[in-house]
Amino acid sequence: MDQFIKIKSLKKVFGEGEDEVHAFGPVDISINSGEFVSVLGPSGCGKSTLMLMMAGLLEPTSGEISFDNKSVDGPKNDIGIMFQDNTLVPWRTVEGNIKLQLELRNLNLSDYKDKIFDILKSVKLEDFANRYPPELSGGMQQRAAFCQAMIHEPNTILLDEPLGKLDAMTREKIRSDIQNLWMINKPTVVFVTHSIEEAVQLSSRVILISPRPGVVDREINIDLPYPRDLEVKKSNKFYEYVYEIQEVFHEYGVI
Amino acid sequence: MYMRFKRYSTNMASSKNKLTGFLKWIASGWMLILFFVLFFLFWEYSIPLFDVPRYILPAPTEIVQKGSADIDKLIYYTGVTGLETIIGYAIAIILGLGFGIAISFSSILRRTLYPFFVSIEMTPKIAFAPLFISWFGFGLLPKVIIVVLVCFFPIVLNAILAFNSLSNELTLFHRSTGANPLKTFFKIRLPAAMPQCFVGFKYAAINATVGATIAEFIGSDQGLGFYISIVTGNMRPDLAFAGIFFLTLLGLSLFGFVTLMEKILIPWHISMKRINK
Ligand SMILES: Nc1ncnc2c1ncn2[C@@H]1O[C@H](COP(=O)(O)OP(=O)(O)OP(=O)(O)O)[C@@H](O)[C@H]1O
Ligand SMILES: [Mg+2]
Repeated sequence: MDQFIKIKSLKKVFGEGEDEVHAFGPVDISINSGEFVSVLGPSGCGKSTLMLMMAGLLEPTSGEISFDNKSVDGPKNDIGIMFQDNTLVPWRTVEGNIKLQLELRNLNLSDYKDKIFDILKSVKLEDFANRYPPELSGGMQQRAAFCQAMIHEPNTILLDEPLGKLDAMTREKIRSDIQNLWMINKPTVVFVTHSIEEAVQLSSRVILISPRPGVVDREINIDLPYPRDLEVKKSNKFYEYVYEIQEVFHEYGVI
Repeated sequence: MYMRFKRYSTNMASSKNKLTGFLKWIASGWMLILFFVLFFLFWEYSIPLFDVPRYILPAPTEIVQKGSADIDKLIYYTGVTGLETIIGYAIAIILGLGFGIAISFSSILRRTLYPFFVSIEMTPKIAFAPLFISWFGFGLLPKVIIVVLVCFFPIVLNAILAFNSLSNELTLFHRSTGANPLKTFFKIRLPAAMPQCFVGFKYAAINATVGATIAEFIGSDQGLGFYISIVTGNMRPDLAFAGIFFLTLLGLSLFGFVTLMEKILIPWHISMKRINK
């Protein structure tokens, strides 16, 4: 398979002099087209920083990122990003917020009429299309933000802890939704998370990042069949992966 | 069909909320009304009680009585002062928003005009009033200029604050879509800035009538400020109070209008505040 995303000696240092914070790197990662890669690491290790640099929204201190051999030198408009803090605006309804993504991208709203309904339905928000974000619970807002981030059907998706604010049950549900979505369209997904189980369940590969300054500790291929439903999650092999990762973070003293 | 029914039922719910909201408002309003009634009763009856001469402080009933005899003049002068206030306020909004946006988007202006405005903000603008009167005479123009001056600064400074405080994630979001600056402005920056802009508009609305009145005190031949200074000179505090009453009415109307505009233009902001309570 071709190496779709290539990250070479990527490093980010914030501030200068005494305020200098070495946030991330240097790191080398390559991701194949259609892969589901999780980036797993403790808080503050630079996961969001990595995402923003991949999206072209933050300039690396050194190193290079390329998508399909084209290096990133400004905001990438052809991908889908779900930021860690939700990007819903309070002056638009849930539906209006989803349309905002389309409007800002100059896409034709009428082409997406059914898609908006479908995606809202997939996260069980179809009855809340006309509600304003402050009227929704934190978890519902996050689901709405997910719809907003995905509506333009990007084939590369960067998700920064998209399930962070969800309750355990909804989390389980959205996980399988994300998995289905990925199995159907096979987008390339980079998925940032704190949850070891989540990473093992969803990904074809997990990249473990050390505490700040984050560097790649190791990469683990998850060799389990899809769809990874409850049956797979109960298997010994699933738990072997989980324990292996737990051990790594245990050594770092983060768990 | 299902959708329609849904919508209908949410409408029902919201009108019910409005009703209970109104009842609550009346309930909390009663205290205020009662306070006003007691205040005016105290005023009315303490005058004979303490033997206050009427050329010092007249009773409310006398103010109403003497004021109604002069009602034509009072209404006409309210119009004069109102016109000065509204023209000045409108100009201040246009200039304040214009400069506010320009300063927010230009780093050169932010390093020059912005500190200049901040330092002028410290001087009491009303001190310029006699100068403007001496430069531009007794007419409408100097009053409008003074109203603009006292309204402009709160509007421009709040607008700068408003347009500079777009949240980090919304900035990243619009950049990720590649939307052009114009689209970003109208779909993200402007609506996001409105609540803070209205803080400035409201503050300026309070300043506006003050500016017009003082300008009229200093030099004019009509308007409520002129009226109040003349009748006070003639030892007629009853008429002065009548003038003050109309000035209050004018100030309240302007403030009420701005509050109404806020409700109409950014209804989401008010409902957001209600939910967060
Ligand atoms: N704009 C910035 N200026 C200075 N330091 C920053 C900035 N953004 C991030 N950092 C620092 O970089 C480090 C990595 O931050 P980042 O947000 O990428 O962590 P993270 O792995 O996403 O953490 P979390 O899991 O809590 O979201 C942190 O130590 C943070 O303090
Ligand atoms: Mg983060």
